[in-house]
Amino acid sequence: MGSSITTWENVSAYFTFADNPVALVLFALGVAGIVGGLIRSIIKHENKAFEEHK
Amino acid sequence: MEQENLSLESLQAALQAQQATFDMHQSMNIEVFYWWCTAIMVMIHAGFLAYEMGASRSKNALAAGIKNILALAVIIPTFYLFGWWIYNAFPNGLIPIDASSALPWAQSMGPDVKDMGTGIFWAAFALFGATTGSILSGAVIERIRVSAFLILTVFLGSAIWILAGAWGWHPEGWLLTDLGYHDVGASGVVHAVAGFFTLGVLINLGARKGKFINGIAQTIAPHSLPMTLIGLMMIIFGFFGFLGGCIIFNGGETGWTTIYNTPTNLSAFAFNTLMGFSGGIIGCYLATRDPFWTMSGGLVGIISVAAGLDLYSPSLAFIIATCMGLAAVWFAKFLENRGIDDAVGAVAVHGFTGVVAVVLVGVFAGGTPNVNGAPDITFMGQLIAAIVMLLLGFIPGYGISFVLKKLNVLRVPEACEEIGIDEVEILAKPYPEANVPANSSSDVPNKLANIEPQGV
Repeated sequence: MGSSITTWENVSAYFTFADNPVALVLFALGVAGIVGGLIRSIIKHENKAFEEHK
Repeated sequence: MEQENLSLESLQAALQAQQATFDMHQSMNIEVFYWWCTAIMVMIHAGFLAYEMGASRSKNALAAGIKNILALAVIIPTFYLFGWWIYNAFPNGLIPIDASSALPWAQSMGPDVKDMGTGIFWAAFALFGATTGSILSGAVIERIRVSAFLILTVFLGSAIWILAGAWGWHPEGWLLTDLGYHDVGASGVVHAVAGFFTLGVLINLGARKGKFINGIAQTIAPHSLPMTLIGLMMIIFGFFGFLGGCIIFNGGETGWTTIYNTPTNLSAFAFNTLMGFSGGIIGCYLATRDPFWTMSGGLVGIISVAAGLDLYSPSLAFIIATCMGLAAVWFAKFLENRGIDDAVGAVAVHGFTGVVAVVLVGVFAGGTPNVNGAPDITFMGQLIAAIVMLLLGFIPGYGISFVLKKLNVLRVPEACEEIGIDEVEILAKPYPEANVPANSSSDVPNKLANIEPQGV
């Protein structure tokens, strides 16, 4: 579904959704969300752990 | 048939086919070179992992380790999101130029049959960023929150250092075009920036509990000095990938150049990397007789000559590295006497040495010409650039950590520090079948306490 090419003739960028900038922006936001979510998750984990070891 | 084979057209076609094959293989060689430089740079992180776990007390060993692992995991995607764009967008200072092809939704930021450069250069720079972010890591062990470290390391590894790279490494970077800046091995753009960012963080983070008693520095001994020494040696190995990534493998007839397009080669880098490495070891050994500092001296030595790796005579590189080994120990003691608890000497090894290394290029290689209209290397140009690097690291390091401190999310609570971070939040034990003591005091004498600066 995400293929950006239909032939290998004269191909340049060929990765999934290369021809769909909206999708690429959404994926980039997904990357940012995962990194941000990781840090948020660690903060929550730390707060809980610190609370348990007061 | 034979006549047809020997016709001018057929010879031209055959030549063009040969040329196309040659060009393709040259592009592949370039990719292969940087692929392995990037792979070798991963060894830097294996080294940081061993070195920082060993430098921690056993109660904090895994917390130090997971911090390193997660640093790689967050710097690589954030460098993809905005690090590469920063490098391409900010050569002029703080006002961006168009660099839309470096944004994460650009067609050039993914697999492309016709682009055999972007991905491999992005990868090498991402690992430079991870190295920069990891320089902070060792200094703050045993009391920083993992979450706070990750926030700081993303800023350092994916934004701050690469801004320095845009200014001092980019072909249009203003430090090069205005001052003739020369820093081929990243003494300034990586080490000075990371070292002084670390100093800014350390001021707000404070010392480990028990480090200073009545204002006198105590030794908090590594729980595994052998692991620390091996880790440092692994970093040295990784340095060869790092420095390989700093040289430009050009296509066509050009051959190797520095990142400033001046001619050089790996032979030049080889002479001075090894002479710097050995000189630094000697300097730190003479200053301390301490195994940790002796091995750290290898790093000091390479960093001290990295800015002028292409220009120095090897004997001069050796002398510079030896003197900088002595000076780095002096600077570490200077900081410790002012209440700064840098657990691994990162500010001295990377920050101080990196800044001085940039200035020394102006001292010893002043007058060396640049190309493409950039001014010659000068002492004043290098001095100004060194100050820029210092401030570019220190100001955000201090500022961001100050905000985290005010939000009370920078440092683990005192009770957690006492028990050990592994016990509180890591959910695993480094040595479950052993009873390794984790005292906050040590019988080992303070390795910096009785050392007088020598000959620097």
